Amino acid sequence: MHTKTINYLICILPLLWGGCDLLESHPYDAHVTGETDINRKNTALIEERLAGKDTVRFAFITDTQRWYDETRLAVRHINARGDIDFVLHGGDQSDFGVTKEFLWMRDILNGLEMPYVCVIGNHDCLGTGKDVFRSVYGDTNFGFTAGGVRFICLNTNALEYDYSEPIPDFGFITAQQERMQADSLQRCVVLMHAAPESDVFNNNVAAVFGHYLRELPGLLFCLHGHTHALSVTDLFADGILYYQCPNIKKRMYLLFTVNEEGYAYEVVEF
Amino acid sequence: MRMRWWSFKRTAVCLALVAAEAASAEGLPGQDTLRADTLPGRETPFLYRYDRRLERYRRRFNSLIPQTCLLQCYGDMGLVSVGVGWDYGRREQWETDVLLGIVPKYQSKSTKVSLTLKQTFVPWSFSVSELFSIEPLSTGLYLNTVFGNQFWTSEPDRYPKGYYGFSTRMRIHVFVGQGVTLAVPPRKRFFAKAVTAFYEVSTCDLYLVSAFTNSSLTPKDYLRLSFGLRFKIL
Repeated sequence: MHTKTINYLICILPLLWGGCDLLESHPYDAHVTGETDINRKNTALIEERLAGKDTVRFAFITDTQRWYDETRLAVRHINARGDIDFVLHGGDQSDFGVTKEFLWMRDILNGLEMPYVCVIGNHDCLGTGKDVFRSVYGDTNFGFTAGGVRFICLNTNALEYDYSEPIPDFGFITAQQERMQADSLQRCVVLMHAAPESDVFNNNVAAVFGHYLRELPGLLFCLHGHTHALSVTDLFADGILYYQCPNIKKRMYLLFTVNEEGYAYEVVEF
Repeated sequence: MRMRWWSFKRTAVCLALVAAEAASAEGLPGQDTLRADTLPGRETPFLYRYDRRLERYRRRFNSLIPQTCLLQCYGDMGLVSVGVGWDYGRREQWETDVLLGIVPKYQSKSTKVSLTLKQTFVPWSFSVSELFSIEPLSTGLYLNTVFGNQFWTSEPDRYPKGYYGFSTRMRIHVFVGQGVTLAVPPRKRFFAKAVTAFYEVSTCDLYLVSAFTNSSLTPKDYLRLSFGLRFKIL
């Protein structure tokens, strides 16, 4: 073979550098590399670290899809405070349901110095997104106890499930209620992506959902995202407030402090 | 859904026909000697017209015979894709390929099949020896569709109109690449008269819109590498 040919071939070889990251069979291939089952690991960490604590302080971020730069800034800001026990993510980590979007966002959120958990958003359900979410984070309905407060995290994206799964899952809410009674827990917080009466919620059961939540012992408030606005609503005129955090592009997160006397919140701009 | 799929198919067929037309127009000179060579003494205008038509008919369908076979790995069109293609243009600088790819199951519920329509432009080819030539640049785009009922071309009716505003099924990719071609000496030919080894660096619409708005995403995040072999049969 001519030297010239060899020279040309040598020009090509550097492209094999870092090749593995560049090799992908499809944007929706659901090829999950790196950490998986994050919610289970992190809820265990939260339960362990906050056991017996009176005061729980957490940050709530949501709708971070395709705002990687802003999410990085939020992570940096939350870390710099040094007084936050854990972070809740209200869903929509991905915009298109593309596999890599979940992995990019996970890698950014893994920069948090404290544990975090994520609920599923409607955008996370697109294409193979549901499968990727399940692999990276775990079940789409889950609960954990931080201090003496039960956090009930729900999948409310009914529009994306077409009756294939019960969304919202009333059986799960009842099971959480029983769990709280068994553990003698007096307070709880509910986290979801889309609030009742929003476009992806199963609004046929919105009032029933409100009723089930009222049955939960000591429900303090609900947290949600989805419409990218900052809002506080008494949705069912029953005194239970639904706090919505805007999307991360608006560079805001909510900071909640819950203790025996009640709770306080502030909107943090970064 | 059927209508949408039809329109993709129709686009594919139209592109193939355009390619075939270009090939038949440029690649087969001297067909006009038909009357003198094959039909001596036939003077009946009707038969003459019929024979000419038949010949044209055969020529057109012959030109649809794929000239190349293609094997390509990765590149967001499948772990492995195989396909057929057509070369055309004065220097055969245009290539159109149709590929079927396999996307493994990984963490999803099923293995998926994808279909790709690829258009390549190879502006230059340099001979470096009797056997080898180099294509220092190839560029083009491909449309990819993935089969599976979790994907849609346009949003199902359950969504408010324009809710998501994109298709999970159809992707458009752009690429640049390079290749080396080995001309197989006539005596050693078995399957192909030339084999090209190539690689391509590509990205797709969804990665581009993510990259444009986020400085923290690096080329490693949104660029994809693929490589393959192209066998020139005809």
